[in-house]
Formats: sequence, structure tokens, C-alpha cells
Amino acid sequence: MLTSIHLLNILLPLLYFAAFIFYAYDFFNEKEFFKKSKSALLFIILIIHIFYLVLRTIEFNHPPITTKFEIFTVLAAAIVFSYFLLELLTEIRGTGAFIIIFALLFQILSSLFIEDLIEVKEVLKNRLLGLHVISAILGYAGFTVSAVYGILFLIMYKKIKRSKFDLIYNRLPSLEIMERLSYDSLVIGFVLLTLALIIGFAWLPSAFPEFSYFDPKIISTTLVWLIFAIGIMTKIFAKWYGKKVIYFSLIGFGVAILSLGLSNIISQSFHSFY
Amino acid sequence: MNLIGITINHTTAPIELREAFHLNQDEIAQLIARLKEKLFSEGFILSTCNRTEVFGFPQSSSYNYTHIYEELTNLKKVDGVKPENFKKYFSCGAVKHTFEVASGIDSLLIGDSQILGQLKEAFNLSDDLNFSGSFTKRLADAAIKVGKRAIKETRIGEGAVTISFAAVQVIEKIYASLENKKALVIGAGETAELAAVHIKERGLSEISITNRTAERGKELAQKVFGKFIPFDEYKNQLYKFDIIISATSSDDILISKKEIKDMMKHRRGSSVVLMDIAIPRDIDPSSADIDNVFYHDIDSLKIIVDQNLQRRKFEIPKIKRLIEEELVAFFSWYNTLDIVPTIKVFREFFENIRIDELNKIKNKVTEDDYHKIDDMTRRMIGRLLHNPTITLKELAESGQNVQEAASHALLITNLFKLNETTGKDRLEK
Repeated sequence: MLTSIHLLNILLPLLYFAAFIFYAYDFFNEKEFFKKSKSALLFIILIIHIFYLVLRTIEFNHPPITTKFEIFTVLAAAIVFSYFLLELLTEIRGTGAFIIIFALLFQILSSLFIEDLIEVKEVLKNRLLGLHVISAILGYAGFTVSAVYGILFLIMYKKIKRSKFDLIYNRLPSLEIMERLSYDSLVIGFVLLTLALIIGFAWLPSAFPEFSYFDPKIISTTLVWLIFAIGIMTKIFAKWYGKKVIYFSLIGFGVAILSLGLSNIISQSFHSFY
Repeated sequence: MNLIGITINHTTAPIELREAFHLNQDEIAQLIARLKEKLFSEGFILSTCNRTEVFGFPQSSSYNYTHIYEELTNLKKVDGVKPENFKKYFSCGAVKHTFEVASGIDSLLIGDSQILGQLKEAFNLSDDLNFSGSFTKRLADAAIKVGKRAIKETRIGEGAVTISFAAVQVIEKIYASLENKKALVIGAGETAELAAVHIKERGLSEISITNRTAERGKELAQKVFGKFIPFDEYKNQLYKFDIIISATSSDDILISKKEIKDMMKHRRGSSVVLMDIAIPRDIDPSSADIDNVFYHDIDSLKIIVDQNLQRRKFEIPKIKRLIEEELVAFFSWYNTLDIVPTIKVFREFFENIRIDELNKIKNKVTEDDYHKIDDMTRRMIGRLLHNPTITLKELAESGQNVQEAASHALLITNLFKLNETTGKDRLEK
């Protein structure tokens, strides 16, 4: 089993790279072959990826959420899973390359540095922790998708405003669709992050004796949550449109990425295990 | 083949002349009656506001383009027209030209989607007036096939090539669907009408028209199942519309930037598309600076039109190859007209000799022997004629050695004195 895990670990970045090439080629050339086969390819990769995660869980006797690089591979799978849902539920087929590149980056980082850990802290084997981390990861996958469509929206907005009717203008879907995709994935991400926070606040104080509300990760995540909350409120109550809501999504995503990276580097708190 | 014809189009004459020569159905019927009487045994006439084409198969071998020109100019008396305004076509060139028209590459707007339908109508009309014979019917089938293949196999018809279509295309890059959108069209002229019709066709839920002359505005509103808003009232309602298309002949700016700003306040920033397709412009172009206002004028839409025309031009070589293929197919058919009857007569000639000889021995042999001889001679003739028949058919169908095929047929006819009329003669009669 260990050899298959190691093999898949090398194979997954290559597969995501192939998927990225398929989607990118289709975006710029619209060839019939790529148009039809790219979604099937992505689906197969997703199945392989889930299989890989299950194998790891069984082999190492814990879900792959105990180190940064274990989490990265789950995040990659979650991003592709969210995008795949979008493809199933909407008519959007062309923009996959912009999403898959994030999955590819996370998977490459994971594949390079992931270790075969069998011994992990007892607290990390807790079921509630699993739920806490998985919902947070899926939430962040939602924010990634939201940010990607947010950026694509802004690119398209500029192109239409300045009458730059080039290839990208031709291939991207309409502004309204990208605004909706960005907002919908933001809401889904927000609901999942809320769940992760609730579990965290309810369970963490009892699980960790050194628990503190001033933990940098708790502060930054709450900040991210607040930014997204305000973004969603402006849309619902102030009836804001377009760019303004997108900016909230992008700022939230930026802070989220910073907090993921920085809070682990800057401080050593109870919340860091790696 | 002696198909001949003349055409007046955008390469030969200015728009005024082309429009002046436009023939309606009655005029086409009149002209066909005249042509049938004097010049042609069959043919067709295509007439749109951009081109008029008269093609036919002459009744006699002495034909003259000036006769066609005279018939046409007798029917349509147009000042300033000269014979040079007409291009002349003959035989293979005439067929090729018909194919080029059908494919759209001969149109002013390359890849024009309407021309194929108009050509079909022209052939149908010719059929209705008993002006369409076997050649014209075959030509019609081949030309329509060319047109369909061009649309299916190339990108000649893709992308907007008119300002009003380009405007709709941009609108569809802003809104996901027009089903729940409201549009206002200011003006009721030709451009305004085209834009209104196009956008309505895309499933727009509500369209309103305003125009300085109420009567024309109401007319257009009725035509597109829209509402008419009196010209002095529309400004109070601007905020209601997601799409505003302006195409009036007004010399001054109709809608100022401040009015757009106020409108956006009313709309709470919800995006709006302003399509200013008037010359000079109707809406202050600096409105484009306002957030969520998508302002486009003719200049920016023309970028799209030019891009699409350029892209269509790239498809021309593909279309030309396609036309070549269809020309080969058409002339293969035409060449077999000569060969097939020759083969038939040639085989009949041998069969007659066989039967004649059989009859002579019928009473001299037993019935059993007679059947054996009958079988034997049939097989023998079959084997003897097998190679010449196949060779002739291949020569005809390949369509590459027209001369050779014809000379082979002639040789056989002369050698065996097969003085029968061939198929083509029959068709031409």
C-alpha cells in the first residue's frame, strides 16, 4: 500500500498538470477533442485523488489533516471538487484552467514535502477536529473559487469598459455569470467557515489547556470571517452589485492566504502542530 | 456547358445603381417571360438590394451578353448605367460564380447569412415559373450544398458583422440572459429598428421605444411587441432600463453625463448598458467613466465588426477548396451525361447483334444447345465489353480528363456507327 501511496503522490501533480493543459488549451483554441474530454479527465483525477486520501487515512491511521502539507493535498482536492460541482450545476465549461492551477500549486507543494507520519498527537485524531478542519478546508476552497471568478470578473469588466475585445473577452462567460459564481461560492465558503469556527469555539477550549482567544490563527480567521460577512451583508441588505462585492471576496481571500501562511510562521501557539 | 449570365454587385457598381436594379417578384416574372421567349431555355434570376444576377442556358449556340443586358435595362430604366457595371460569366466560370455567391464569399459582408436563402428563393421562383430545367435544378442543388457546407464546415458565418449585431453581442457578454432585462430604444430609424429586432430576438423580456415623431415610434413599438414612451417623458424613466440603445439623427447630445449619474443613483449602482449607435452621438461619451455603466459607441463596436470580418476572411481559402470539390462533382455529373448514353447504346448494339445471330441458328440446333449457346454468347459479350465500359465510366466520373472522355465516346460512336442521340443532347432539347 505504501508504494501505491508514494506513486500516487508523484502522479497527482502530473495529472493536475495534464488537466490544466487540457483546460488551458481548450480556453485558447476550442478544439472539439479537448472540449469533450477535459471534464471526463478531471473527474477521473478527482476519483484518483479521493482514493489517495482514503489510502493515506487507512495506512497512517489518521485523516491527512495533521500537517500543512497533508492539508494542502486535501485543499487541492476540495478546490477541484468545488469546481467540478460548478461544471455540473452551471453551463460554465471554459474557465477551469484558472481554478485548476490553484489545485496544481497546492498539490505540488504537498507532494514535495509531505511525510509518511504515523505518530501524531492524540488530540489530532479526534473526530470533531476532523470536522473542524475539513469544513475549514472546504470553506477555503469555496473562497479560492470565489476569488478566481472575482479576478476574472474584474479583468472582463476592464476589457468591456475599455473596448478591448480580444481572445480573453471572447472566451470568458458574461460578467453577470462570473459575479454570480463568485458570490455563490463565497456564500458556500462562508457557511462552511462558520461551521468550522463554531466547532472550534465550542470544542477547542476543552481540548487544549493552553487555549487562548488571542491566538493569532483565531484572530485572523475571525477577521476573514468578518470581511466575508460584511461582503455578503452589503449584497443582501444594501443591494450592492458587481465590483464592490467582488472586492470583499478578494480582500477576504488575500487576508485568508496571509493568515494561513503568516500565523504559522510568526507565532508558536497551541494552534500550531507543524 | 454553355451557362451564361451577367451580374451587377458591389464590385461593379455603386449602391444607387445596385438598388435601382433590384427586381421584385413581378418584375422577375416579367423578365423570365421575355428571356424564355427570346434567349434562354432555362435559368434563374437572383435579385437583392445588393446584387442582381441573370443566368441561363441559351436556346441557340449564338448568344450574346448584350441581349441579356438589353432585356434587363428595357425592364428597369436606370439613369447612368453602363454595360461595364455588369460582370459577365460563362460556362465553368458561371457555375463557380454561382457557388461563390451561395457560400457568401462574394457578398459585401463576407459570409452574409441571408444570401443562401435568397438564392434558394430565386431557384424556387424559377421552378414555379417553369424556367427551371434539369441543368438549373442540378445547379441549384449543388449551389445550396456549397452554401450549407460553408456554414457547417467553416467559420464563415461566425461573429457579428453589423453594428447592431455587435451591440447585442456585447450586451450578452455583460448580462447572462436577457430574459429578465428591460431595454429602451431611442429613435425609430433603420438602425434603431435593426437593433430593436435583434435584441428582441435574443429573448428580451420588455422593450420600450421612444421617438421624437410619435407615429413612427409607435409603429416600431408595435412591430417588436414593445411599449411606446412619448419623447418628452422617457428621461424620467431612464432608471428602469438595463439596456439603452440610442440611434437618433439628433445633432446634439440627448442624454448628459449628469442624467446618467442620477439614473445610476436611482438604480443603486446596478449595471446599465448604453449603446450609442448614432452619428453624431446621442449620449455623453464621458458617461463611460461612471462605475457599472458600460458605454459603447459606433467606434468601439466597429472594432468587433472589423475583427469578425477579418476572421471570416481567413476562412475564404477553405471555402475556395470546398467550391473546387463541388465543381469537380458537378462537372463529373455533367460529363457522365455524355458517356452514359454512349455506353448504353454501345452495349445495345452488341446485344442486338447477339440476338440476331441467335435467331439465325434457333431452328438449326436442339433447344438444349440453344440455351447453352445463348448463355455462352451472353457471357462472351459481357467479358468483351467489361473493360471498355469500366474505362469509359471511370473517365467520365473522375471529371479530370473531360477531353479524353469525350474523344473516347466519339471514337466509339464513330467506329461502331452508333448514330444515336446522347443524353446531353436530349437534355438540351
